[in-house]
Amino acid sequence: MARAPKRPNRFFTIGSILALAWLGSIAVLSILAPVLDSIRDPNKLGPSYSKNYKVGPGWDFWFGSDKLGRDVFSRCIFGAQISLRVALGSIVVGLLVGGFLGLLAGYLRGKVDSAINVLLDVLLSFPALILAILVVGRLDVLAENWTWLTRTWSVTIVLSLLSIAPIARIVRAQTLSLSEREFVLAARSLGASKWRIVGKEILPNLVPAMVSVAFTGVAVLMVAEGGLAFLGYSVKSPTSSWGKLIAENREKFNDGAWWGTTFPALMLFLTVFAFNVIGDRFARRFDIREAAL
Amino acid sequence: MRYALTRIARFVLVFVIVTFLVMLVTRIGSKDPIRDLAGGTVGDAQMDKVRDDFPYVKACSGTFEYIPCVAKQYVFWAKDMVTGNMGVSYLKSQTVFEMFQERAPSTFFLGFWAIIIGLIIAVPIGVYSAYKRDGWLDRILSLGSYVSISMPQLVLAVLLLYGVASRFEFFPNRTNYIAPWENPVEHFKNFFLPSLTLGLGLGAVWSRLLRADMILTLQSDFINLARAKGVKPGRVLWVHALRSSVLSLITSVALQMSGLVSGAVVAEQFFGVPGLGFRLVEAVQTNDILAIQAITAVIVAVVVIVNVGVDLLYSVIDPRIRQMRAMG
Amino acid sequence: MAGTGKAHLRDTDDIILRVEDLVMEFPVGRTGLKVNAVSGISFDVRRGETLGLVGESGCGKSTTGKAIMQLPRPTSGSVLFEGVELTTLQGQEMREARTRMQMIFQDPISSLNPRRKVRDIVREPLVIWKRGTTADQLGKVDALLEEVGIDPARAAESQPHQFSGGQCQRISIARSLVLDPTLIICDEPVSALDVSVQAQVLNLLEDLKTKHGLTLIFVAHDLAVVKNISDRVAVMYLGKMCEVAPSDVLFQAPAHHYTAVLKDSIPVPDPEIAVAQVAIEGEPPSPVLPPAGCRFHPRCPAADERCSSEEPQLREIGDGHFVACHHPLVGGEAPVTVRSATDA
Repeated sequence: MARAPKRPNRFFTIGSILALAWLGSIAVLSILAPVLDSIRDPNKLGPSYSKNYKVGPGWDFWFGSDKLGRDVFSRCIFGAQISLRVALGSIVVGLLVGGFLGLLAGYLRGKVDSAINVLLDVLLSFPALILAILVVGRLDVLAENWTWLTRTWSVTIVLSLLSIAPIARIVRAQTLSLSEREFVLAARSLGASKWRIVGKEILPNLVPAMVSVAFTGVAVLMVAEGGLAFLGYSVKSPTSSWGKLIAENREKFNDGAWWGTTFPALMLFLTVFAFNVIGDRFARRFDIREAAL
Repeated sequence: MRYALTRIARFVLVFVIVTFLVMLVTRIGSKDPIRDLAGGTVGDAQMDKVRDDFPYVKACSGTFEYIPCVAKQYVFWAKDMVTGNMGVSYLKSQTVFEMFQERAPSTFFLGFWAIIIGLIIAVPIGVYSAYKRDGWLDRILSLGSYVSISMPQLVLAVLLLYGVASRFEFFPNRTNYIAPWENPVEHFKNFFLPSLTLGLGLGAVWSRLLRADMILTLQSDFINLARAKGVKPGRVLWVHALRSSVLSLITSVALQMSGLVSGAVVAEQFFGVPGLGFRLVEAVQTNDILAIQAITAVIVAVVVIVNVGVDLLYSVIDPRIRQMRAMG
Repeated sequence: MAGTGKAHLRDTDDIILRVEDLVMEFPVGRTGLKVNAVSGISFDVRRGETLGLVGESGCGKSTTGKAIMQLPRPTSGSVLFEGVELTTLQGQEMREARTRMQMIFQDPISSLNPRRKVRDIVREPLVIWKRGTTADQLGKVDALLEEVGIDPARAAESQPHQFSGGQCQRISIARSLVLDPTLIICDEPVSALDVSVQAQVLNLLEDLKTKHGLTLIFVAHDLAVVKNISDRVAVMYLGKMCEVAPSDVLFQAPAHHYTAVLKDSIPVPDPEIAVAQVAIEGEPPSPVLPPAGCRFHPRCPAADERCSSEEPQLREIGDGHFVACHHPLVGGEAPVTVRSATDA
């Protein structure tokens, strides 16, 4: 994968352009959804003729209607908003916290490294989904007192927690290998302070890997959110997310209403795929440059 | 030896921290852990019985007393676990041990077949695409594995359950546990689709891993030597090259354990597999505290033991990798 | 050989660097064992002198170079630089002391940060120490780049990977000069370069040395490279010092058996000359468990019982020529001393 010399290693290929286009349109649609007239209110009960999955995909309801007669298309678009917000929010927290811990462990080593490693082992030895349902379940109880703590926040907190350890591991490994490099030694011999070395020499060299990790990470987090939603541990009704739409419409799949599950599943798949494509493109370019050095 | 001991000590430490955190989580936000343990709405007699059975379970309060209070309970619980008393799920009127007897086989076979399916997919594809690297079939297979990696288990489960199981009488819509030695055909029917849900993604990841490793191996001198000696191409590929490329595959198989458990929770829920993951979700919903603690402890123990195993395996196979792993 | 002792240390005013009993050990993983990379070596460098430090891979010569810079700090021993003891300096003082000496590394490309512009890399030391205004700094950087043969305009907009290995080494040299150091430690500065480029870089170093009044410590595994550039050469084996002598003396009449082997391994471009080698067998022993007595004795053609039990001390056998060997090729047998076998 990393070594495919014949293929040009440009960042922009047909695949990555399509992926960017897909992500761009999803993002724009979900942001503009509240002000676009042609997109229905996702939570408003539909007219009676559309109840109980009466209307299939067509001009009226692009992706068909659901049990309560709501528009599956608009629920998908508003669901995208939640899915993206949760995944992006968590990856940002993950990058900040995980990156910080990884840098600390990799650069300072010694006791700090051991302590951080135990923490990361603790996080990693938990199967992700189990940690997530445990924590979301408990946060629900706290949410009774803290009204701001909606499920959207709970899920973001949990997914951030999950993304910390893998990111910290990667950053730590990279920092370790970078700080062995002679330019770091050179900086030390020039009298640069610790924090200057971290900031000017190590951090800039971590950026490409981090960007790639961020994209692949978002893909993983979206899948995780889907799983949580399916188990009933993501946003609460009537708010929608893709995983939740799959879960709430799946009962009717066999009675002819295939659209309620298929469209959100397709959108989830395409989005995850797009994030993976871009992350992979980035990693490939990055690898090649590293090899050239 | 010293290395092995420090490694094991560290994992024991991790295990204790994790199980303690789980216990903490079951207590935080619980108004009355004894009632949760007793199964919710029950009479006073039942409550008294539960108090009698588990005198150490109590509600903790206070800012500074909270953690020590839970820690005390943890010691009692850990003692119970070590002596083989895993506790009781009053809600289900069974001991946690009985629950394991009932639920663990399903989860075991689900994971087992998922790994087998993953390997059946990964090994031929990985070896072939490395051999015919950048050929048209390699490209198609690469794209295929790429698509499979991006396929959320949830989406795959939808496809398999509604696209396959509902359309063909052959596969049941809900999985029942049937031991393979009782009825192999029924076992296969029940477990194939949920295992495939888990196994396809694994197969895709592993095939890419194996392909990358094989490409490196095939370029190395000892392969050229084998070819020059006149070893048959098939043998070079499947014996010489594969043997020296499987190391990272083995690691990945082992390290996917915790991912497998997560995936199993979704797959079990979707296909109605009567496994531990399914039970755990129920337990969390009702805060069935001893069940939660026992199930997570067992799962984490498996993950941790596999990790130690991989570490030690590595240190036996290749001391250089041991150092690298110690660093990274 | 491979002995200890300080007989070769000089006692004059113009000594810029004096290293005594330098020891450097690294732990091996978590096994409790340690690598004895450098086991008690001493040497000094006079102002304006070039000291060559040679030995095969793993003999501790690079480690010695880095230990002088306190990167990392040596396990024990003393490093006296311009009259200041470096091993006890802390924090800010240490960082400042390091600026008076600089280091050039083996891998020219790895020693430059791949994500920064070359001109910024060379300017970095001035920025760290806030020397002069931006204009002053850039003026100095450009002048130095010009001096080492790099186009400043190109350096302003290019990253290291756009330059060749030789050019990168020139950039490293420019960076090491920017703080006006007095001592430069060159850690195998040309061994990663093509032979044709090696000569150019060596000549550049010679020129700069005269122009900037530098003192050089030149670490290399290749005696041929050291031969011309050094005033004095110190030969190391397995963390110990074997022989110290003025460059021409060492090449005409090596006293230590190991030096002789090194010298004979320089390829001679004449097919008529037989490859008469005092072949030594095997690899150097592991520095984790170094041999007792003279560390070279398992591979030495002249080794006897004394060599395996008693560690030889450096002693003078000619004008400025010191050797640590019981049975040297020139200068006669070592007098029998009553000393403990291994005192390092």
